[in-house]
Amino acid sequence: MTITREQLASYLEDALSDVETSQVEQALRQSEPLRQQLRQLMQERDRGEHSVGAIWRRQRLTCISRAQLGSYLLGVLEPEISDYVHFHVETIGCSYCLANLTDLKAQQQSAAPQSQQRRRRYFESSAGLLPSEKKK
Amino acid sequence: MSSENDRLLVQQIRQGDARAWDHLIASYEGRLLAFVHRRLNDRAASEDIVQETFIGFLTSLSNFDDRRALQTYLFTIASHKLTDHLRKSGRHPLQQAPVDMLEMKLDDNPAASSLARGQERRDLEEKAVAHGLGSLLEEWRDQGEFVRVKVLELLFVRGWSNRDVAAFLKVSEQQVANIRFAAVKKISENVREAGLPADVFPELI
Repeated sequence: MTITREQLASYLEDALSDVETSQVEQALRQSEPLRQQLRQLMQERDRGEHSVGAIWRRQRLTCISRAQLGSYLLGVLEPEISDYVHFHVETIGCSYCLANLTDLKAQQQSAAPQSQQRRRRYFESSAGLLPSEKKK
Repeated sequence: MSSENDRLLVQQIRQGDARAWDHLIASYEGRLLAFVHRRLNDRAASEDIVQETFIGFLTSLSNFDDRRALQTYLFTIASHKLTDHLRKSGRHPLQQAPVDMLEMKLDDNPAASSLARGQERRDLEEKAVAHGLGSLLEEWRDQGEFVRVKVLELLFVRGWSNRDVAAFLKVSEQQVANIRFAAVKKISENVREAGLPADVFPELI
């Protein structure tokens, strides 16, 4: 499997799907030239250089709205839009949209009690850091 | 949730509104957990990282620019916490690579050489590309030209060759080349209008 430069950049940004992350990591372990390419890429990033692809990912130019992802799960999107969502999630492997989809699926399967427990824990561990002027 | 709602929520949190903070947690914890868990496959550790992400958000609240997308900002914090966790637990793949590489990837502080291209210049470049590309993609989506969007996404985001894109999408290489040309022309115009040199992005030459 050939790893492209943009795949390596996406790997550094944690923007790959889990399957692809594993593939890139395996390739990195086995190939010194690929590790050298990664080293060069990191040096370029350090110099402030970026690619059109990196800007596209950072700006999330084609990410799907959460409302559309919900409609996609319900199967109520128009066919061509649904096909594009499938492409963006499965072929591009957008990790942010994948995370949103996983979350929406979990909500559909009513994992409410565990979710409530987690939210309480996050709230209690962080609420003390809220600005204090108008704490309610 | 719209960006306007997010801005309002952050404004309320800045005023110390605990209910707004609770609402933000409820809105974002599920997707953040899914994002981290996909990488770690460890439920308890993933929940700890999401917890650290929310704490990190509040401690950096004064630096948060309301014009930024809240979700993207939270994912960025989570990604940093995740990398930090992988390093501490010895699970980072680059720990099997030469030490200097590992240090480079995990170093949070930019080296002195980063001065070579200042943040202001980078922001200008990013704005020019995002504006040109964004308007083109929006136009194509509105026209239902999703094949064009797919072609560009595979070329720029995945870095595929014209040939591979053509074969995957079952279109001709000439079509792919034409779509690339249209995008490069549009982005280059925006880059020039921003007063930047045309060769700022090698892939546009």
